[in-house]
Amino acid sequence: MISKLLAVVKKETLLLLRDRVGLSILFIMPMILILVMTLIQDAAFKTLNEKGVPIVFVNDDKDSLGILIEQGLRNNELCAFNDSIDGHPATAEQVKLSVADGKFLVGIIIPKGATAAIRKNVTQLVNETLNVDSTVTVNALASDSVEITILIDPATKKSFLTSITSTLHEFISEVKTKIMFQTFADQIAEVIPDRSKAPKNAFQKTQVIRYKEIYASKAGNTIIPNAVQHNVPAWAIFAMFFISIPLSGSILKEKNEGSVFRLNTMPSSYLLLMNGKIIVYVIVCMIQFLLMLSVGLYILPLLGLPTLVLGNSFLGILLLTLATAFAATGYGVMVGTLAATEHQAAIMGSLSILLLSALGGIWVPTYIMPELMRNISAFSPLNWALEGFYKLFLRGANTYAILADMVKLLLFFVGTIAVSSFVNRKKRNV
Amino acid sequence: MSTTAIIEIQGLTKIFKNSGEPAVNNISLTINRNEIFGLLGPNGAGKTTTISMLCGLFPPTSGTIMINGENFHQYLTGIKQMIGVVPQDIALYPTLTARENLDFFGRMYGLKGKMLKERIELWLQKLGLADAGNRRISAFSGGMKRRVNLIAGVLHQPEILFLDEPTVGVDVQTRNVIIENLKAVNAAGTTIIYTSHHMEEAEDLCTTVSIIDYGKILTRGTPQQLIANNPGCTNLETVFLNLTKRKLRD
Repeated sequence: MISKLLAVVKKETLLLLRDRVGLSILFIMPMILILVMTLIQDAAFKTLNEKGVPIVFVNDDKDSLGILIEQGLRNNELCAFNDSIDGHPATAEQVKLSVADGKFLVGIIIPKGATAAIRKNVTQLVNETLNVDSTVTVNALASDSVEITILIDPATKKSFLTSITSTLHEFISEVKTKIMFQTFADQIAEVIPDRSKAPKNAFQKTQVIRYKEIYASKAGNTIIPNAVQHNVPAWAIFAMFFISIPLSGSILKEKNEGSVFRLNTMPSSYLLLMNGKIIVYVIVCMIQFLLMLSVGLYILPLLGLPTLVLGNSFLGILLLTLATAFAATGYGVMVGTLAATEHQAAIMGSLSILLLSALGGIWVPTYIMPELMRNISAFSPLNWALEGFYKLFLRGANTYAILADMVKLLLFFVGTIAVSSFVNRKKRNV
Repeated sequence: MSTTAIIEIQGLTKIFKNSGEPAVNNISLTINRNEIFGLLGPNGAGKTTTISMLCGLFPPTSGTIMINGENFHQYLTGIKQMIGVVPQDIALYPTLTARENLDFFGRMYGLKGKMLKERIELWLQKLGLADAGNRRISAFSGGMKRRVNLIAGVLHQPEILFLDEPTVGVDVQTRNVIIENLKAVNAAGTTIIYTSHHMEEAEDLCTTVSIIDYGKILTRGTPQQLIANNPGCTNLETVFLNLTKRKLRD
């Protein structure tokens, strides 16, 4: 039996080595995919991070609020600051048009008299509080409130703009608060008998709460999520499952070339023949994954991208890769057994892998999917594999933490082989 | 079971699931050890279906097949070890060389090591392929492929060899080499079950012939007996036409 199995393994290896197109699909295509996808995604974030969000600013206020916001935006790394359009100082009307045209992602207009309005409001508030001028009412305050206009390019992704605008809101509020506190401090100083007791640096004293953002990881080192950490495992899994196309093709080629006819008359079983294929393609998957990791570790850094961080559990990586390889190979055997022709297998294989990868979170993270799709994605083997690798690469988990993912992948493998065996028997029983 | 019978078929019937008509209809046959048994018939007569059931490719709808005294479907793996098959279509891996193909198929029959190597070289030599043995099958001519196809079926020295039109589409030289080697295989003790449309070839090669049509055996005997039993017939081809008539079948 072992001798026969080795003969099948040798035959499969020779067939694979002589199929140059198949080999390029197996090894070169996924490497290119990782490079391209990581560079594109990284470049998209980098452009915004390095050059900043293109913002056009109109300061009709010309006073403290406008000046401070302008200074802040100019110094903010998130923003690519502009106060002119086509060489001319920007006006409110032009800003509206150019943001609508997509020339800028965000336009900010500080209205005329904004600072004066804040000062007036604060002064009135202080006077009312200290009972200097009892004629001020709350309604009067409301009518003088400052309205800063933030224009947004409608073609920009909402999730991205939400993060940008909330940062802007926070920043503008901070500047407003600063002016209000300063005005408040000045007003207090005017009305209290001992001016030396007036609050100094009042604004700074409001900064009692600070935020510290750290990516939670069980690893000793701090793993920073980036395009490399996401793309390398994601596309490596995609590539491993993509072997269903050459694998199913090889099964059907044997049928078409007549070799299966001869093999069926020999003292061997369907499972023996499939096991030979599975061994070869599982090894191929392992090599594929190793290559993909090498791209993340050695090639992507050469292109200015972050180096892939593998986490702490090399045993976990090995076992999860093996489980993923078995699941992918089992799927290929199933497609090759279900399909009647190579053409059918190619379409069935590629479309189903695209679908499973989309559902599995390879293209977009599952957490931004609607609830229904999130529930469906839990049935994608690519999702099980990806979740496992996220645990290892991003959360610094150990082998025990990915046990459930591995079991699911191995059960998927057993299921696909059982289905293939059943279908093969049905097909032969004509 | 008689002492000389190697294959005994009783009431063999095959009705395919997508067809109401039986492809093979209640055939009963005995093939004796060391015979060269010719199963002749027009296209669609049921020859390939019968051979396929005898090779274990699919089960019969009804009937029994006894090979070497054993029920075929109860001892399938053991019986498959003692049979060799040379299918009508080339059943080889085009991107492997002739030697690699033969090495693989030989190993699938349990051959290995020096014995396997020697048999491969012997057969390549016999069929004039020793120099081409390291070339890929895809680079072979039709006749060369047929010869390798034959070797893959006889490498393990089967007790029973099934040949489904082994000489279709080959030149006279190749046919001659194939026929001569089949006679030698038979002389070495292998029973041959053979189908063909070449009546002259069958007359020359076969010790016993059955003519099948519409899934039923029409007659059986030595070529000489069949010619003698059909008045006005001078060779196997006229016997064949006399029994199966001249109507086209496909």
